[in-house]
Amino acid sequence: MHESHIQDNAQMGPSDGWIPLGKDPLQQPRDVPVLSVERLAVSYETRYGDVPAVRDVSFTVQRGEAYSIVGESGCGKSTVAFSIVSFLGRNGKIVDGHVLFQGRDLVGHSEEELRKLRGDRISMVYQDPMQALNPSLRIGEQLAEVLTVHRGIGQSEAEDRCIHMLEQVHMPDPANVMRRYPHQISGGQQQRVVIAMALLNDPALLIMDEPTTALDVTVEAAVLDLVAELQHKFDTAIMYISHNLGVVARVSDQVGVMYAGTMVERASVNDVYLRPSHPYTLGLMRCVPRLGMDKAASYLYPIRGRVPSPRNLPPGCIFEPRCDFARPVCRQKSPEMCEVEPEHWARCHFAAEILSGKLEPPQDAVPDLQALAERRASDETVLRVARAKTYYEAPSKQLIGGEKQYVKAVDDVSVEMKRGHTLGIVGESGCGKSTLVKTIIGLESPTGGEFEFMGMDISMPVSKRSLDLIKELQMVFQNPDATLNPSFSVGSQIGRPLRRFKAVPAHQVRDEVVRILDLMRLGENYYNRLPRQLSGGEKQRVGIARAIAGRPELVLCDEPVSALDVSVQAAVLNLLLEVQQEMGTTMAFIAHDLSVVRFFCDTIAVMYLGQIVEFGPAEAIYAPPYHPYTEALLSAVPIPDPRAAQKHIRLSGSVPSALHPPSGCRFHTRCPRRLLLPDGGQICTVEPPPWQRNTDEHRIFCHIPLDTLRQMDAVVTIQE
Amino acid sequence: MLVRDYMTRHPMMGEPTMPIVEAQRYMWEHNLRHLPIVGDGKRLLGLVTRQTLLVDPGRLASLDVWEITSYLSGLTVKDVMVQAQDVISTSSDVTIEEAARTMVENRISCLPVIEAGVVVGIITETDMLCQLMELMATRAHGVRVTIQMPDVKGELAKLVSAISAQGWGILACGGVPAPKAPGKWETVVKIRNVSKDDIVAALSQIEGQEIIDVREM
Repeated sequence: MHESHIQDNAQMGPSDGWIPLGKDPLQQPRDVPVLSVERLAVSYETRYGDVPAVRDVSFTVQRGEAYSIVGESGCGKSTVAFSIVSFLGRNGKIVDGHVLFQGRDLVGHSEEELRKLRGDRISMVYQDPMQALNPSLRIGEQLAEVLTVHRGIGQSEAEDRCIHMLEQVHMPDPANVMRRYPHQISGGQQQRVVIAMALLNDPALLIMDEPTTALDVTVEAAVLDLVAELQHKFDTAIMYISHNLGVVARVSDQVGVMYAGTMVERASVNDVYLRPSHPYTLGLMRCVPRLGMDKAASYLYPIRGRVPSPRNLPPGCIFEPRCDFARPVCRQKSPEMCEVEPEHWARCHFAAEILSGKLEPPQDAVPDLQALAERRASDETVLRVARAKTYYEAPSKQLIGGEKQYVKAVDDVSVEMKRGHTLGIVGESGCGKSTLVKTIIGLESPTGGEFEFMGMDISMPVSKRSLDLIKELQMVFQNPDATLNPSFSVGSQIGRPLRRFKAVPAHQVRDEVVRILDLMRLGENYYNRLPRQLSGGEKQRVGIARAIAGRPELVLCDEPVSALDVSVQAAVLNLLLEVQQEMGTTMAFIAHDLSVVRFFCDTIAVMYLGQIVEFGPAEAIYAPPYHPYTEALLSAVPIPDPRAAQKHIRLSGSVPSALHPPSGCRFHTRCPRRLLLPDGGQICTVEPPPWQRNTDEHRIFCHIPLDTLRQMDAVVTIQE
Repeated sequence: MLVRDYMTRHPMMGEPTMPIVEAQRYMWEHNLRHLPIVGDGKRLLGLVTRQTLLVDPGRLASLDVWEITSYLSGLTVKDVMVQAQDVISTSSDVTIEEAARTMVENRISCLPVIEAGVVVGIITETDMLCQLMELMATRAHGVRVTIQMPDVKGELAKLVSAISAQGWGILACGGVPAPKAPGKWETVVKIRNVSKDDIVAALSQIEGQEIIDVREM
């Protein structure tokens, strides 16, 4: 009888006759939201008067729910989080509104009262785990302190509980980890420790401020899985703050979109992503590449202009200066948050029209990419790298003598680049992608292998290269702040390569710089500005301008858009595309965002631990047959679409040390597909895999037969 | 079916220094009947219920109007709460029926759930009733039939085999000693996707058992 009961319940989904628990009066206590923020306004006191950082933000987080706040940098999302835990700093203050935690107002109480009121019921996890952990204390001591100091639990019992909690966050070998220092564990493990620490108090609300931004995609996916699991196990409400639309789509139930210090739209995750009703949300959705989009068939629409400074807000709607739908009324009257449809709020005069599709965003800005495709028909090989090796010497552990050890950052890598094509290089951090690029440009000297650029040997460091060669090979770096000299004006920095390479006669340098600035959509008035007067996106454009000024043949881009907001990222990607179209430049593009790489690149190389494991045209990489590592990467990448269903493949362990790479196939220690081979993939541990050719251009470095790999399903499917 | 599955995690709580007026308003606004009072690290210090908030009229009668005001405004939760050592509590791995028994025997309507002195949840009468409701699959449509049978081994098996012979599935099933017929046992079964008449036809055939109530719900 018992069995039939279970069976019956299993067959009967919630839609199949079960009446949901309604707003039964008896259920009332459960319905009090864990957190309710009402018309919150926060200002920072500065020398120039109060700066309103957050205005009129309202939302509620229900028990056990995951609420995300998404927005670009500087939109005030962290300020909202800090005002909940009253961590605004000395000059920050809540000027209006209420923050109700479990129905009790946190505004207007003293520090001590707040501490009692909040008690240990709100915890927070920050972006950088290393900043939340004390580097001079063992992890065990730090964790146990939470229990011994706050709860007066005895030392040994506290340790037992900490070990138990580390098990809950899937930390391998927790007892051992307790004895280590924070620097002795990996970034993903550090973040697990921080999450464990936050959960030791069993909080009703956990605030996570960009918890995975500093992590690799594979680690990020595992941490997000963990958060979702713990949310259900501990019945904890989670407030999630992120700029990453993919991460938000994966973790949240409800989403609030913030722009320039106020909330512009809030609704369920599906409504925000699939039926946005505020022009800004719509713009955000149009400027992120989705996995599967490529540059030939689609276009990224950047949001023009930039976020207004909180000191200098437009009189009407704050988004009006950048809005495609702006009308006179938007300039005069600031819209209120209104309910467009049940539980879907937007701050726009025309939200209903946008939602019903009466207002369509303009499509006309699409440039003609056909010319680009034609120009790219050239099959001439620009760069050929064969069996490249870059080793770093590591000191031997013995005091005297001892064998020299090498970190094999790049080991036996061969790539070819054709004129006008873009090569994407992807892989986890530490896989050697940056080292490969630095070796090509000459910032690292190669240990072995052939490097041939347009028929010339370039296996020497940059200091030994001729000026002509340097001119042809240029680089765009990840962090524009670090690459621009803060005390030189934009014009002189772009002009320098022109003068140095004598690309144009000396009296024409200024005109040429202005021409390049125009190409970068910056304009002549930027000529005399200093880097600190530019926004992040503008700095990166100057970085690109400087790289392309001498009309190089090959531009190497090391994560050029990772530090940028999505709307700016779209603009920079479009710019790079236009530059390529204009000048026929060949590009290498390193990125960890697989959607961006898919969008931007023609050919992709997937790297793991110093080696390329899969190489081929972009569309071939994203469809079966996959290398098992590519498959795992694709299943981890956060996709900005709540309908996306991904195969659940998580790599265990962390990347092995490049000092002693595993024998045979380097991926065998973490490979989830090894068991497909006879006798558990013994061959992988002994023999390096062969290059198997799927098509002429697509090759996979794996022992598993291509036919087996071909039979696998696609990793990502979109459910309509 | 343990306390941990049915308790309310992260209950709303108060602290001892809370003025009684505020506690009363808080409980009233959110329709709370019980407010665990905790100190640092969520350690249980006491419990406030609606009864504890009632002020003894005898005490007030001896005071004049001004004294009443100052007396009431000076009261904090600490002065009226049931002290922790007198609070009857439970732990999260106790069965739900055991917790129900504790509540019935002590005639109380809630149990704070404590682990190592720390409040991890609260379980109330409402949670118990919710559990009863779920146990009887109240939220699913079906036919609920009550059968009286002799308190003899094998009788339930007869009933179940009669149901499974028809190819029906049991949504919920429960039994108690018949309240008004000594030596008998009353079993409630909920079956779905059948009509009342089919059930009566099939189950009235069982020897020695009697249908005493059938209703669709």
